[in-house]
Amino acid sequence: MAENASGLVIETFKLTKIYQNRQIALNDLTLSIEPGCVLGLLGPNGAGKTTFLRLVLGLHRPTAGWVKVFGKTMTPNAADLRRRVGYIPTNPQFPHGMTPITYLDYMARLFGLPADVRKPRLASLIRAVDLLGVSGEPIRGFSNGMTSRLAVAASLINEPDLLIWDEPTHGLDVEARRSMLELIKTLSREKTLIVSSHNLSDIDEVCNHAAVLSRGQLIYNGTLQDLKGRMRRNHYELELEGEQKAIGKATQAIKSSADFKSVTVRQRRLELRLADEANNASALATVFMTLADNKVTLVSVRSVGQQTEQAFLDLVEKEESRGFARAYQQTEEAA
Amino acid sequence: MEAPTPAKPISINRLLPYWAVFQADVRQTLQSWVYRTWVLISILAAVGFLLYRLGVYKEAKIVQQASSLMGELLRWSVLGSVTLIIMLTASSISSDRGTLADSVLCRGISRYQYFFAKWHARLVTVLGTFLLMGLALLIGSFFLLEQDLSIPGSIVALLTVAIMLGTVITCGVTFSAITNSTVMGITVLWLFIYGLGFTLSLLPTDFPSPSQTLNRLPYMLQGKYDLRYLGQMAMWSAVISFAMALVGLGYFAQRDV
Repeated sequence: MAENASGLVIETFKLTKIYQNRQIALNDLTLSIEPGCVLGLLGPNGAGKTTFLRLVLGLHRPTAGWVKVFGKTMTPNAADLRRRVGYIPTNPQFPHGMTPITYLDYMARLFGLPADVRKPRLASLIRAVDLLGVSGEPIRGFSNGMTSRLAVAASLINEPDLLIWDEPTHGLDVEARRSMLELIKTLSREKTLIVSSHNLSDIDEVCNHAAVLSRGQLIYNGTLQDLKGRMRRNHYELELEGEQKAIGKATQAIKSSADFKSVTVRQRRLELRLADEANNASALATVFMTLADNKVTLVSVRSVGQQTEQAFLDLVEKEESRGFARAYQQTEEAA
Repeated sequence: MEAPTPAKPISINRLLPYWAVFQADVRQTLQSWVYRTWVLISILAAVGFLLYRLGVYKEAKIVQQASSLMGELLRWSVLGSVTLIIMLTASSISSDRGTLADSVLCRGISRYQYFFAKWHARLVTVLGTFLLMGLALLIGSFFLLEQDLSIPGSIVALLTVAIMLGTVITCGVTFSAITNSTVMGITVLWLFIYGLGFTLSLLPTDFPSPSQTLNRLPYMLQGKYDLRYLGQMAMWSAVISFAMALVGLGYFAQRDV
């Protein structure tokens, strides 16, 4: 796929972007993306996700550091490198008065594709994204789902090796979102993908790697599995059945244990938050024993919080609490 | 949605991105309200001016020479058009900024190609339109007015004005590439043109300044033109245009969009 010495699709080194000496958008980011990787780019608003993607595409120039794409340094004039990249910006805009056919033809010509190549390709893409019926209609009247599908087609017109999709499910209804995720899964079999999203369940479903940005700094880069492994499993919800008096008694007994930070009962739901140092297996075993002793039936046990989301929030929370120490641990974090 | 079937990359036409942006920009300019307003106002003003002058001179029984009438008309149409031409050119790149420019500049096009395509498209559209309108007026004047026009002189006069407008267009596209917004581009361009005009007016009278050149239009139309003077004027216009284009190109090739 990528014929370069390192074999990496994207490589950044100490990538830093400061806007007009006022805002640090990206800080010292060192990252490598291998071929076949489906990277989920996570981070709260203003974390630097879009800045990172724009630097990778050469739309912005780094203040310090560098970014290499397919082994070559990306610059605003590196048209050859961009010919191998397909990009969907957040809320893609389309020129007025164009139809899907004229727009895709324009995009294909921007990649330098001759007519005998681009015409059949745009026709297949229009069919693939299910816009055949409206291929001659002005884009102006399209719904969010339709414009998203058109943006997908535009990002695939050059048959790129690397796809960069910035919030591809943003503003889509359930059906369109499902369809988009399925497409990402299909494309991930043969392409390298970077998907930036606020929707963590999307990342969880389609990505195998994750990079978490917080305030312009990379605070996690690794597999999604490892990210989930970092999750503190300390919040559980138990659904109970039995006499209210018995449930109350069991709750009092659980509250007396030092393993729990908080124990609350609402209706017949028992919510448990474990102390940081507690072992979740033994703490839960104590809970089950107490419930059994008080003749309370356990209907269900649920770990609260979606796994990736919880791990992501934990990471951001931890990063924010580190304060001044973070300046001295950058090397360790990058590793 | 089903995933499209992948295929091997094909030979790339490296001039095609330039040509695509050029064509898109010409189409966009022709559809813009500024362009349509400029054409409409120019035609209405020219027709109104000619009818008024013809009426006045017919009543007063004065013979008005075509060269003096057309020279005056060209001069006023240039001065009147400059505002709209500035609006038309100072928005060429700055109005495309943001996500719309993203969707073009993230493809297989270099910043150089994009700048050249935008610059050339505006030159062709504005100068093409001006030359067409000028030609139509001259042809009309051959039939309507007292003849003292020379055909080579008329062509030279039109080309002279086109060269000066070309400099304004180049400056407009350059400031559009440098500034962050269209309003800022228009403001800076106005200041630049006035500053340049003022500076040139301070130079010796034999120096080819725009106002001097416009004053010479009636003589040019009669075929009485000084090639040395016009050559100097064309050379200075070209020097300013190329210098400005280089500045715009160099800056735009490195800036964030």
